[in-house]
Amino acid sequence: MNWTKQHPAWAMFAAMIGLLVFLWGLAIPLSLAPAPIGPAAQQFAEGARVTVLLTLISGTVGVVLGVLAGLGKLSSFRLIRWVCDFYVWLIRGTPLLLQILFVWLAVPQFLPDSMQLSDFSCAAIALALNIGAYNTECVRAGILAVPQGQVEAARALGLSPFQCFMDIVLPQSMRVALPALANNLASLVKDSSLAYAISVVELTMVGYRVQAESYQPIPVFVTVAVIYLILTTAFTTLTAALETQLDVGRKR
Amino acid sequence: MTPDNPKPIIVARNVSKHFGAFRALNDVSATFNEGQVTAIIGPSGSGKSTFLRTLNRLEAHDSGSIQVDGIELNDNLKNLDAIRREVGMVFQSFNLFSHLPILRNVSLAPIRVRKMKREEAEAKSMALLERVGLKDQAHKYPVQLSGGQQQRVAIARALAMDPKVLLFDEPTSALDPEMVNEVLTVMRELAHTGITMLVVTHEMGFAREVADRLIFFDQGSILEDSAPQTFFTNPEHERAKAFLAQVRHGF
Ligand SMILES: Nc1ncnc2c1ncn2[C@@H]1O[C@H](COP(=O)(O)OP(=O)(O)OP(=O)(O)O)[C@@H](O)[C@H]1O
Ligand SMILES: [Mg+2]
Repeated sequence: MNWTKQHPAWAMFAAMIGLLVFLWGLAIPLSLAPAPIGPAAQQFAEGARVTVLLTLISGTVGVVLGVLAGLGKLSSFRLIRWVCDFYVWLIRGTPLLLQILFVWLAVPQFLPDSMQLSDFSCAAIALALNIGAYNTECVRAGILAVPQGQVEAARALGLSPFQCFMDIVLPQSMRVALPALANNLASLVKDSSLAYAISVVELTMVGYRVQAESYQPIPVFVTVAVIYLILTTAFTTLTAALETQLDVGRKR
Repeated sequence: MTPDNPKPIIVARNVSKHFGAFRALNDVSATFNEGQVTAIIGPSGSGKSTFLRTLNRLEAHDSGSIQVDGIELNDNLKNLDAIRREVGMVFQSFNLFSHLPILRNVSLAPIRVRKMKREEAEAKSMALLERVGLKDQAHKYPVQLSGGQQQRVAIARALAMDPKVLLFDEPTSALDPEMVNEVLTVMRELAHTGITMLVVTHEMGFAREVADRLIFFDQGSILEDSAPQTFFTNPEHERAKAFLAQVRHGF
């Protein structure tokens, strides 16, 4: 990780490019592998893309949710605080699988027939809500860690509460919250596998299908595990680099 | 320094402020004229910081009235914005934005609040940093600077908004002794530019030499309000005499 510390911007760029190359090129090396992997190379590649897409979409929405709910928990309006507390309590106290099934089976009943959600969207919504609740606590801790004196200085200079939040509080709280947020994101790569339960064809589902056809679980699941490891490592590198980039002001 | 026909810029009338049941400010009235340099001294907990902080509404006063340059300080956000543009503040603990480079610390408010163009704001900030002797530190981060340097940046940051009034809350109290002078030098130069300054300080030498006026706070009230010379040679109240005796014999 030393290299990422010295060249954070390059590390971020490299991890991002690496991830894309890996995703789009995955089928080529896999197709050279013997059966049962080789013939299913396209499926593995497609599954990995779905997993990454699911992670990126729900991860991004989850950060926004986390910031909103984290702020809401510090709000001076009791109702907002109460809603945010309830959200975090509800999500953290119930299994993720149940949340995914709920969005998939129960939410469509509230929607008009013309507006039905795809399986993928259901999974993305449930995962975003889930990680958002876990992010809330990290963001709240981050916001509380920003020195009050800097907020006062910004207000005394005439910055509006919104400007003060965007320019002073948010960047600094993110710096504090980032390691925990990154952890949540790495978990999300793995948690997204639960989307298999609502028939989203992501990486784990692909593995399950391929081994069911070939009766060879060991090579199939080893391949799936290796792909997950590469993905989580890429995400960790990405966030570590982002962290060092945000950390500049703190080093002596 | 004070012009012949003084123009009031801050008018505080019967200002009171409570923290719970505790009365931190007790019917404080004072008028500050344009260009005046006022030193505010007094024992710890006497309400000096609270008074300063009510003047730009970092604390809201509960009764009385405050006018800054003719604008009433109240819950009206328009008034508050207008007043904060005219009143700069320098804090004991600097409060620089630790995630931003020095130049950005200074140029942020002009860009955001005065809607100045970035290049223009940075050129102006550079000039201000040069004025406080820190031009070559512009691209460092606050933690890389000494306390005295950070406080000089904080002064430049406040000046970047072209305030008419500068409030200082014990600007040198958090500094190592060898750094006090570099900050006082900058403040001394400022005092001669005609900007209105209110300085809460324990630096009696500075108060005596630079201030036009001296206010002594005690238990949330202004106990003495006089010329520094008068105060230091001939204080009226016993409390002020006791305070001075204590200060003279060192803390
Ligand atoms: N936010 C607050 N909540 C409760 N009490 C406060 C608060 N701020 C100040 N006080 C109290 O108000 C009184 C006046 O405080 P203030 O900070 O104005 O004193 P000061 O004259 O600046 O003292 P010092 O020289 O120690 O800085 C003190 O007794 C302090 O404990
Ligand atoms: Mg004080």
